[in-house]
Amino acid sequence: MRTLMLMVALTAVTTWAADAKPAPARPADAKPADGKAPAAGAKLDGAKLYVERTCVACHGKDAKTPILPDYPRLAGQSAAYAEKQMHDIKSGARANGNSAAMKGVMHLVTDEEMKALAEYLASLK
Amino acid sequence: MIRTLQALVVTALFTSASLALAGPPAPKAKGIESSGYKWNAQEGEKIEALKLKGDPKRGEEAYEVCSACHLPSGAGRPDGTFPQLAGQHPTVLIKQMADIRGGLRDNPIMYPFASTLVDPQELADVAAYIQTLKIPRDNGKGPGTDLALGKKLYERDCVSCHMKNGEGDAAKFYPVLAGQHYKYMLRQATEIRDGKRRNANPDMVKVIKTYSDKDIDAIVDYMSRLEMPAAKK
Repeated sequence: MRTLMLMVALTAVTTWAADAKPAPARPADAKPADGKAPAAGAKLDGAKLYVERTCVACHGKDAKTPILPDYPRLAGQSAAYAEKQMHDIKSGARANGNSAAMKGVMHLVTDEEMKALAEYLASLK
Repeated sequence: MIRTLQALVVTALFTSASLALAGPPAPKAKGIESSGYKWNAQEGEKIEALKLKGDPKRGEEAYEVCSACHLPSGAGRPDGTFPQLAGQHPTVLIKQMADIRGGLRDNPIMYPFASTLVDPQELADVAAYIQTLKIPRDNGKGPGTDLALGKKLYERDCVSCHMKNGEGDAAKFYPVLAGQHYKYMLRQATEIRDGKRRNANPDMVKVIKTYSDKDIDAIVDYMSRLEMPAAKK
């Protein structure tokens, strides 16, 4: 019972936090740099997204030289793990550690793009 | 109180990271709190960068490290954590970057990022690129509760430097205000009034020293609604 109450409370807080976010995503930011939405089924370029969606700013050009030592190296990370963390940080399900720094840019990234990014990261040595 | 709290939250988000920084911490230069402080002293990498011609193409690449906070559009965040940069005067951008890198403007959040820019040429390049970005019109606005007071004070005290539409003055290093977020300007104006922004212009401090919080709220609210002439329809 207590667990249930806790869960309800947590859900309420999370929902509130999601509602209280400062600004809607700027539509201009949600599009690729060229302003065109990718064609359905087109293969997304993870390397390009890694730069365009600003991952590079903190995690480094090679995804293994982060700008601060307590930011993670991502090169070679399991795709499934990376994708899940991106989802959870965007939704607010993960809100610990440095994730607050990353949450602010996750409105730039769609579900398909997370998948492409995760695969790109996993492909790096 | 709210402002202090907001600043604390922002700082807390990044402090653990900044403290763990492997590189040397930000230097500390003598600012407005020191008796010999001269605003905008023409020295250091700033004057070198100002002499160089910035290349927006190279600047676009250098901007990658800025984009996670200031966003690819340059629009920053309406919650006031990160300022709007798009369309800012390169002189202003170069001065602020150099001041942060040189320890004259304290910014532990930005310092690790700013310190990755390699030389005055890169400062000039990134400033040239940022100037090409379009000033947003959907910036964070104030509550609109006392715009008449804001207008009165702006026209009395601010307009001679920041201009009628918030255009600023590139040659004098006065920033564009049009399109800037209300909450960011609220934080900066308060810190400038209270002597906490150490690279501030003493002439401005003199002007706003007597402002109450209410005056600052009103004036900044008014400023958040300014638009560059070209942006008007």
